[in-house]
Parts: sequence; structure tokens; C-alpha cells
Amino acid sequence: MTVLKVEGLCKTYPKFQLRDVSFSLERGRVMGFIGRNGAGKTTTLKSLLNFVHPDAGEIEFFGKKLAKDERDIKQRLGFVSGGVEFYPHKKLNAITRITRSFYDNWDDGACAEYMRRFALDEDKTPAQLSAGMKVKYALTLALSHNAQLLILDEPTSGLDPVSRDELTDIFLSLVREKGVSILFSTHITSDLDKCADDIAYIRAGRLEAVGELDGFLEEWRLVQFAQEQMPDALIPLLVGCKQGKREFSALVRTQDAQKLPVPTENVDLETIMVHLEKEGEVC
Amino acid sequence: MLKLVKKEFALSVHPTGLIFLALSAMLLIPNYPYYVVFFYTGLGLFFTCLTGRENHDIDYMLLLPLRKRDVVTARFVSTLILEGAQLIMTIVFALLRNRLISEGNMAGMDANTAFFGLALIQLGLMNYTFFTRYYRRPDKVGSAFIFTCIVCFVYIGLAETAAFAVPFVRDVLDVPDPANLPAKLVVLGMGAAGFALLTCLAWRRSVRSFETLDC
Repeated sequence: MTVLKVEGLCKTYPKFQLRDVSFSLERGRVMGFIGRNGAGKTTTLKSLLNFVHPDAGEIEFFGKKLAKDERDIKQRLGFVSGGVEFYPHKKLNAITRITRSFYDNWDDGACAEYMRRFALDEDKTPAQLSAGMKVKYALTLALSHNAQLLILDEPTSGLDPVSRDELTDIFLSLVREKGVSILFSTHITSDLDKCADDIAYIRAGRLEAVGELDGFLEEWRLVQFAQEQMPDALIPLLVGCKQGKREFSALVRTQDAQKLPVPTENVDLETIMVHLEKEGEVC
Repeated sequence: MLKLVKKEFALSVHPTGLIFLALSAMLLIPNYPYYVVFFYTGLGLFFTCLTGRENHDIDYMLLLPLRKRDVVTARFVSTLILEGAQLIMTIVFALLRNRLISEGNMAGMDANTAFFGLALIQLGLMNYTFFTRYYRRPDKVGSAFIFTCIVCFVYIGLAETAAFAVPFVRDVLDVPDPANLPAKLVVLGMGAAGFALLTCLAWRRSVRSFETLDC
């Protein structure tokens, strides 16, 4: 079942353009949404929920259009964009009490469990929380109403490694046990290596790649070489050439790897992203 | 709707919005431009929207299972509740004033039936000018308020001047109740209709602006 379908999403700002973004997310899957700062991740996520008014495009959640079923759709999804910045001087229990009144499926037990697990004190105010704790409280609110889809904009930024690990474990258990789907934008690609099934990579407002994470990783190999090792004729096969301390590194498509005179190695998401951002630069 | 109202008063409405209701007692001042009392409701609304900006009130509401237009409706409803409360309190203090002080108001319009009709128009104008500008750019709440102040004080100036210079207002409307009650009731009715019309128009235009706004 498709929980989110985006077709031809466009948004133009004076200095930025989101162009023809299309992807879909199936039930029970985690999609990592990656791209460098300013690539259009937040604009895309905000457009999905009409926080930003798209110029064009079709968006469906659970087979329904947001314009017609906004309330029902929002009952079924949770959105977290960074930490809780709202009402910095109100106690968490006051914010929680009001928030819960809007959700049909609010789960007090789950809320209490996440508050305990994240060591959140409900008598504190957001102003008294660290950046990481603010993110945890935002996640607590998003996870406490049995959302079927979580849209998370950089949820792990500002969290320590242990908390990030704990969070990805929670995401995985939500996916496995409840069939929740997660669209997860982040810079910290190692989190995605751990929990993502699919990947969407956006660059300068355009989706460059969408598909299964494993397939995306298998598409590329990393090659590291000294300049004299690489014949000029093969340089067009290299993508995103980067000069390191002693040698160059670049991506090469897996089917072209055999043609190179030097060995290639597996790549992780971060390496692919760093090199693809340098696509077009000559060795 | 009840949930929205609860949220507004628990998290959003600035304390001055409630405290300024007490200024309805200014109707006990023997000689005073009583329209100014209603301006404080607008000031309370400004503080609510100003702190709302700092508290990311709109960002919070957009996360809730609400339509975008509900964000606007919530603020209108809480404002109408405060305006209604102020109207009731000012009526009580006007009755008290007229019982305690036999002379009319030498500084402006008497606190009588017609005055409340004209004050309702003032509130309607304040709602229209403030909200339609505010929901175009919620981050520019100050400019919406300055424009509202200008409109409000021009209206107060005209209304108070009329109480001295326009014979019908001076001789028929600006006299203690129950004299000329039918004419005053007509003004009250027209004021209520004007308030309703201006506020409905303000809501419609605000919703239209806010729905196309990038938050």
C-alpha cells in the first residue's frame, strides 16, 4: 500500500527552484531523504503538508489528497522538524495536554513511555531543554498518536550518538511491529545506513535518484588513484573527482569498474553524496 | 472548536488580553473618551500575536490535525470571546456609571446605547484592519498593529468630534438613556451588523491570505 505519493512537485522562490519532484513511499518502509544544505529537502517536506504552498504537483497521503482530507491525513501522520521551539516558557505537561486533545488515537501509555525513555521531565519548559532534548520531546509528541507515517526533517541533528542509535532502534521497531512508514531527511547518512530501505537524493531542487538503498549503493564503486595511474581516456568514467592529501578519489558506475586499471571498493551513502555533489569537476 | 478555544487560552492568548478586560472599569471615569477602552482589546490582540510569533504558535498549530484555515479561525474565535466579554463588562460599568454619576460625559460620547453601536463598529474596523494585514505576513505583526492604531484613532477622533459638531449625534444620540431610545437602538443594530460584516469579511480575507502563505 502506498502511503505517500508525490508527482511533479514544483515550487519557485526568487533564488531557488524545486523542480518536478516525484517519489512514493510504501507502507512499512523507511525512506532516507538526503541532499546538501539548501538542496530542497525542507521545502519538499513542507510542501507535502502545505506549510509551503506548491506551485504545481499532486500529493496523496493514504490515497487521499491533502486539500480535501487535511484533518484526517494529519491524524495519521507525525511531522518533526528539528526540536520543539514552540511555547518555550510553557511546561511540557501543558503542551502535551493540549496536543493530546486534538488526536483521536492519542496513546497516553506510549507518551509516558517515550517521556521516560528519553528522560524528559514534564515539569520542565522547552526553554530548559537542551537542543537534543527538544528533538526528543518533538519526537515524543509525534510518536504518541499512533501515526502511520512519520515525516522527519533532520530528527537526529543535535543528538548524541547513543540517542541517535536509540532513535533508529525505535524507528525500526515501529516499522517492524506497527508497519509505520518513515520519510527521514538527514545529513547524518550513517543513520540511514542503519535503518533506511529506500533513498531519495535531491540536488539543487531536483531529485537525482530515488529507489532502494541497496540498489543505490550497488550502482557505485569508489576508486582511489594517483594521477599517473589513470589514463586520460578513462577519466570520463569518473564521477565527482576529489583531490585528497596524496591521491584522487572518484565514483565510478559499477558496470564501468572493470575498465579501470586500479581496484575499486564498496561505497557508503556519505561517500556517494560527497562525490555526486562534485559531479562535473575535472580530475 | 472547543479544543481550539482551549488551546488558544491555555497556550496562546497573552495575559494582557484578559487583564485589559478590567480596563472596562474606565467607564466609571466621569469624563473620558470611552472609545479608547475598546482600543485596549486590540492592544491585547497585538500582544497575543506578537508573542505568538516568538513562541512559534502558528508552527505548532500547523502540526496539529487541523486545516490551515482552522489556525485563522482559532484566533478569530478567541478574539471574539474577549471582545464579547469586554462588551458585557463595559455594559455593566456603563450601567453602574449612569447610576453613580448623573452628568453626561463632557469629554466625548455618553456611555449609552448608541455608544455601544458605534463602539462595535470600532471593534469591527480593528478586526478587519488588523487581521487582514496580519495573516498576509504574520512575521510583520507590528506593521499590522500600527495600521490598526491609525484607523482606530481616526475613527475615535471622528466619532468624538461628531458628538460635538454633528447636530444629530450631539442632540439625539449623545444624551443619557433612555432618551431617544428608538434612534439609539437603530444605531446599536447598525453597529452590530457592521461589526458582524467587517469581522466576517476579515475572516474570509485572512483565510484566503493564510492558505496561500508559505510558513
